[in-house]
Amino acid sequence: MVIAVAIDENVQAITELSEGISYPVLMDPNHILTEMYAISNVPSVVWIDENDKIVRPAAAEFGTNTFTEITGISRETHMQQVRNWVHDQIVPEDATFTVSDLTEEEVLARLHFRLAAHLQRTGQTNDAETHFDLAAELAPLDFTIVRASMPLRGRDPFGEEFFELYEKYLNAGSPYHGIPRNQISD
Amino acid sequence: MSEITIISESATPTQGNWIGGTACIDPASLNDAIGWELKPEGLCREGICVPVEDRERIKSGDGIDIAEVAKILGRPSLVSSSTNTVTIGQPSIIRSRALSEREAPDFTLEDLDGESRSLSSWAGKKRLLVAFSSW
Repeated sequence: MVIAVAIDENVQAITELSEGISYPVLMDPNHILTEMYAISNVPSVVWIDENDKIVRPAAAEFGTNTFTEITGISRETHMQQVRNWVHDQIVPEDATFTVSDLTEEEVLARLHFRLAAHLQRTGQTNDAETHFDLAAELAPLDFTIVRASMPLRGRDPFGEEFFELYEKYLNAGSPYHGIPRNQISD
Repeated sequence: MSEITIISESATPTQGNWIGGTACIDPASLNDAIGWELKPEGLCREGICVPVEDRERIKSGDGIDIAEVAKILGRPSLVSSSTNTVTIGQPSIIRSRALSEREAPDFTLEDLDGESRSLSSWAGKKRLLVAFSSW
């Protein structure tokens, strides 16, 4: 079964995105999951078995092929791998990959983000900005920090700022807490 | 005592005050703030106690130094007197076990209807945990 967790506080946007979906969709406005599982971008998919063991750690997987050209990740490959696991207990080779732990800075960035989001919700906008900035300084290439803060700060997560972040991320060798994927570079 | 907001899974206004840069909270409020109680055996929750070797270290005036408590529980904290808050993270051992021992940490979050749901609500099943967003 699928359990979707929105690293997000926009219930309306997530409700719209979840239309027609029958599996559970949970809201994680305080980014608890990204701290517990060391997740640095979405979408990230973790496979968990009947005994609560992580069978395959976080990997970028998509529900559509919209981004296949950019990411080199195919929806069908993942779906086939999932079927092989569910029916025949076969797991892909990359599942043995060990995800690196968050650094102290990345942990602290999550706390600054959580504080900033609280301050934003309670109308303390200036202090919120300060802590969003501190979070971004500590984890400048973590999408769950930098990009997730954009809509909360009234900025466009699909705009110029995102493309600048994405370029910096590619130039840094695509640092990602999860199974590394083939990046198609230009 | 005035109020300090403790932010972990949610934000909890808690009886407490600042002594220097130290956030000292009312011992009676500790349970509401982070779900642990200070007892003679140590810091306790659901029958499990973590011994507190140096009780003086977590005491500050009439209150308890919440950042020291977090440290004993292996949880990171961000103490911010300017915003009158202490933000407390998840125990780092939960994450390192997830990564090295592959034990999937349980968590509890609200679904779109506001109902609390946990990973363990669907125990005994194969699960695909999908982190996604609108951003």
